[in-house]
Amino acid sequence: MEGDDTAAPAIRTANLTKEYGQFVSVADLSVEIDPGETVGLFGPNGAGKTTILRMLAGLTRPSDGSVFVHGTEFEPHDQHLRSRIGVVTHDSMLYDGLTARENLRFHARLHGVDDIEDRTEEVLDTVGLTRRASRRPGAFSHGLRKRLSLARALLHDPDVLLLDEPYTGLDQRAGADLAAALDDLEDKTVVLTTHGLEQGLYHCSRALVLDAGRLEADFATRSLSSDEFEARYRRTIGLDPEEVAISE
Amino acid sequence: MTGFLSAVYNVVRKDLLVEARTKQVTTTATVFALLVVLAFAFSFVKTFADPRLVGRGALWIAFVFAGTLGATKTVGMEADNAAIDGLLLAPIDRSAIYVGKVLSTAVFVVVVDLVTLAASIVFLGYAPAPDIVLPLVGVLVVAAVGFSAVGVIVSTLTHQSALDELVLPVLLVPLVVPILLAGVELSDALASGRPTGTWLRLLGAYSGVVFLAGIATFDYVVEG
Repeated sequence: MEGDDTAAPAIRTANLTKEYGQFVSVADLSVEIDPGETVGLFGPNGAGKTTILRMLAGLTRPSDGSVFVHGTEFEPHDQHLRSRIGVVTHDSMLYDGLTARENLRFHARLHGVDDIEDRTEEVLDTVGLTRRASRRPGAFSHGLRKRLSLARALLHDPDVLLLDEPYTGLDQRAGADLAAALDDLEDKTVVLTTHGLEQGLYHCSRALVLDAGRLEADFATRSLSSDEFEARYRRTIGLDPEEVAISE
Repeated sequence: MTGFLSAVYNVVRKDLLVEARTKQVTTTATVFALLVVLAFAFSFVKTFADPRLVGRGALWIAFVFAGTLGATKTVGMEADNAAIDGLLLAPIDRSAIYVGKVLSTAVFVVVVDLVTLAASIVFLGYAPAPDIVLPLVGVLVVAAVGFSAVGVIVSTLTHQSALDELVLPVLLVPLVVPILLAGVELSDALASGRPTGTWLRLLGAYSGVVFLAGIATFDYVVEG
């Protein structure tokens, strides 16, 4: 089904559902995300955030419902739409037997990037890994691997970026480096999942709060302070302050 | 078609480059193959008058081991760091990934078999006539492709369903029995000058069918 690429939302889901046997991981999700918007998926463990991201990326087949990217229904076989999406997950998707540069060149070839050499150096520079490009990612710290994953996701200049817990396992400095790299992605539509409310609020202009696979709230975040956002998030998922204090 | 072949080439090239660096498959499988030949040399050479029989046995036992290990490692390489997701996200035909994995596994199997063949000649006195060496290698190549076609699918299934690697041979070996039977019979027929037509057709047809079945099902097997 073809759509109008310019007027359509960057991402639209229609009754998106994922079931694993009796367990419903995502239930009936219908949202629209505009081009250039940065949207955060928030929710406790098991809320369905990662499953949603994997379905948006075409890595997991929905049990029901559809995903539309720029107005076109996204089928797993759609090679063209895959080239418009970049994904960073918990796993680096890199080969420890290849150097950082070789990994990026391999992915650049698969994505049909025109000037592989230059583009590889460009994204290495973007994530600050030029000096370490000849080392294998197996020898990298978690933060460096995350940055290399981001470089891999940016190689083919996608206009939609899906980031699954990009800050997990990063120390303060690595987190700041990653935040700076993400700040440079203004023109892209970004969907990110995070447990870090502060980081989510910093990057996102809109929050989708999920609980047990259901969308419980969808609101703009730009005008909210950190405390207001946290209070609203807690209310949405039914956590009172004492429970939060215990879990922390 | 160019895009498909280019994707296949890139996957094979990457697998061979990683193997050249790590030498995980070739080293392990070659050492095992040499051990098989040595064990055969000590155990059977005096028992069996015909070294062709012993050499052929060593060759096909090494083939099964190299094929199983090759499929496990080439698929396992994609499971590490969820590298397979990186391939699935690329704008390429997903069956190109399968074809690439089959070909790289087949290359590992053939390399190990050539080492086994050389070792069988040295240690077992198994000396195939010069005019059958090329057809024998041809049989090994077709059998390696057929074995790898099944091996990559079954190994992907075991990885996706978190089954233990030990389950792999249990699932794999029954599915490759026609390939092994045809391979053993063809190497015997080539050496003794018997007609090869029936076994050749079985090997070619079965390898072709499992390869096409793998192309058709890989997308569903690999997707969560």
